[in-house]
Amino acid sequence: MTRWLALPGVPPLLALLALLGLWHLAATFFGYNFFPTPGAVFKTLPALFGEAEAAANIAASVKRMLAGFALALAVAVPLGLMMGRSPLVAKLVKPLVATIYPVPKAALMPIIMLWLGIGDAAKIFVIFIGASLPLLQHSFGGALAVDQKLIWSAQAMGLGPVKRLFAVVLPSALPEVMIGCRVGIIMALIVMVSSEMIARQSGVGNLLFNSADMALYDTVYAMIVVIAAIGFVADVAFEFVRRRLTFWAEIHQDPLVPSA
Amino acid sequence: MIAIEGLSKTFETSGGEPHLALDGISIDIPKGQFLSILGPSGCGKSTLLYIVGGFVPASAGRIRVDGRAIAGPGPDRGPVFQEFALFPWKTVRGNVLYGLLQQGVPRDQAERRVSELLQMVHLSRYADFYPKELSGGMKQRVAIARTLAYDPAILLMDEPFGALDAHTRTKLQNELLSIWERDRKTVLFVTHSVEEAVYLSDRVMVMTPSPGRQKAVFDIDLPRPRIRAELLLNRRYQEYLIAIERLVQDGGEDEA
Amino acid sequence: MIGRALKSLILHSASLILLLGAWEAVCRAGMVSPHLLPAPSAIFLRLLVQLADPAFLIHLGQTVLRIAVGLALATAIGVGVGLAASRNRLIGRLLEPLVRVLAPIPKIALYPALILMLGFDHASKIALIVADAVFPILLATYHGARMVEPKLIWSARAAGASERQCTFTIVLPAALPSIYTGLRIALLIACVVVFLAEMISSSDGLGHLLIRAARSFRTLDMFVPLLAVSLLGLALNGLATLAGRRLLRGFAL
Ligand SMILES: Nc1ncnc2c1ncn2[C@@H]1O[C@H](COP(=O)(O)OP(=O)(O)O)[C@@H](O)[C@H]1O
Ligand SMILES: [Mg+2]
Repeated sequence: MTRWLALPGVPPLLALLALLGLWHLAATFFGYNFFPTPGAVFKTLPALFGEAEAAANIAASVKRMLAGFALALAVAVPLGLMMGRSPLVAKLVKPLVATIYPVPKAALMPIIMLWLGIGDAAKIFVIFIGASLPLLQHSFGGALAVDQKLIWSAQAMGLGPVKRLFAVVLPSALPEVMIGCRVGIIMALIVMVSSEMIARQSGVGNLLFNSADMALYDTVYAMIVVIAAIGFVADVAFEFVRRRLTFWAEIHQDPLVPSA
Repeated sequence: MIAIEGLSKTFETSGGEPHLALDGISIDIPKGQFLSILGPSGCGKSTLLYIVGGFVPASAGRIRVDGRAIAGPGPDRGPVFQEFALFPWKTVRGNVLYGLLQQGVPRDQAERRVSELLQMVHLSRYADFYPKELSGGMKQRVAIARTLAYDPAILLMDEPFGALDAHTRTKLQNELLSIWERDRKTVLFVTHSVEEAVYLSDRVMVMTPSPGRQKAVFDIDLPRPRIRAELLLNRRYQEYLIAIERLVQDGGEDEA
Repeated sequence: MIGRALKSLILHSASLILLLGAWEAVCRAGMVSPHLLPAPSAIFLRLLVQLADPAFLIHLGQTVLRIAVGLALATAIGVGVGLAASRNRLIGRLLEPLVRVLAPIPKIALYPALILMLGFDHASKIALIVADAVFPILLATYHGARMVEPKLIWSARAAGASERQCTFTIVLPAALPSIYTGLRIALLIACVVVFLAEMISSSDGLGHLLIRAARSFRTLDMFVPLLAVSLLGLALNGLATLAGRRLLRGFAL
């Protein structure tokens, strides 16, 4: 009877339902107009996606998020792997990473907009910085732990440094890199939302606050649901890919906790 | 004093299959007896001790202490583990103090008792050290003092000297014997060293390889207090060693 | 001794020093307008001047207050719930999927709702800090408590401690190294998220100072709060290191 409870995905689904139930109860109990029930919120969702402007805003935000993340993948992963294999590179990059680590990334938005203007470039750049740090850290850690003997045999086979990085170091470090990806995509989402809330020009973050200003409370909560769903789907998707790619290395991984 | 009747333990492995670790252990241990449990690695010696301690439930059988069935751990049965299991966040003093304070002994009285105990295990100078700052032998002395502190009637010792070097082991064996001579607690002592079992015990229970069953029980009739140098020439001591060694040897291979 | 430490510091931050030097040189040479990128020396000096300004200190104080209250609440909730979940199977079972659903949600998205419910002042910002900082603490506590060597608990149980007493006298202290790691992550998250919240909607705090400077295009004053909050994060982190060294003396770290 309880077997289906143990199926993967069932407990989170139940948790989700329980959460919605609690929300419904709380909203009905308080009855504030700025705290709608989940039913009212979900009713606005189709309208939201049907509305050209809102749908375009959401799509544009996701596009920027993915662009920033892709850029981070292209830059931070090779750099992190290099740091793990070359003490000199590590020594050069580490102090820079330690310096930007405590800086609120999305807070750079107004400054970067001075340089890159108010277009997509500034937004993508901020997302890129935010997603880069976890990718860099995990790639570094993964490459650092690669068995030296593997590198030696690759050298003996005549592989050059660049080939070694992608043919030997990357596959060996992949489990760690994938964990970096999972944290990185959520970081990209967080930076995307918060930078849009700060810049207030377009995107889901802006939509969120505009609806609040216009007292469209159902829309506010609907946008929160959309953002939460993006985060949840990204997390589950990356966990799925990670398991597929690195089924041979069972690393225990917590639900993640990226820092904004 | 301790009555073990038909004790069995089946573990569920991670694959979901049952794994029989202990099979039908029955033995009575009179008050004040020093009993060693001897057997190859993986035969269930630790499991047996944990069940008597009340830390792990039995699958079948009964254990009574002074006629009462055990229900969980209690201060009448004090464990000493091979891995010491000291509280790393407490100093030597804090570790030994723990049981006394749990027993509701007033603070100043407890402190005095701790000083006595530390003197007994020759660690007075190390009262304010943390476990990580001690050698293995010192750690095990602290663990013994921590258990003796709440004065359990029964000591459950699981290869307590197994992780120590030969010299330290001999020294701690003698210290344990002199402590035991003083208050004659009932001791269940797990070891896989025939020599250690014979040297320390009144009785030795030999177990089969996994699943652990009783193979034989020897009464060790040797004079006390035991003095190693004298025993080495003792004919009966030698015979015990040879007989038990043979029995252990033809039991097949170790699991580990 | 101090000379060697200094030498190693310089050696280990060579790239940073180089970068700052280049940045300074570019600015001094007039290759970029100070309206786009002020010199690092100018930013530092400006921060020093601001630190003597009571108005600035009040903003700093508001930020620190929110961080302190938020972290304290997050720690109490995270450690409490984490311990309960690790010691009670039912609570653990109920909580695990809930955490799995809630942890990857960007908490900053909740901020508008928090403002609607709690207003623009301290409460909504503190609530946001708690929502963001509670997860690393909770997870670290949970895993730390689950990893506690059973023999430590057995030793305490045999000494007469009840299961409940074990939770507080054994499991909690044994899980401290893990909790501490979670706390340090939470600390930084708190600094970042309070700053963002103050930028998004506030009338005080360091984040608000950045937005105010941005509105009137005072570039130099945009960098100062950013530097201040980063240094605040580093300082709190340093404090945590010192506290940890004392608190975790007995653990082999
Ligand atoms: N928690 C457990 N789960 C499953 N099997 C266990 C567990 N603890 C011990 N066992 C198994 O029970 C047997 C006896 O273990 P143990 O008592 O540790 O032996 P010994 O102390 O004699 O070396 C071994 O085969 C071991 O693998
Ligand atoms: Mg054992």
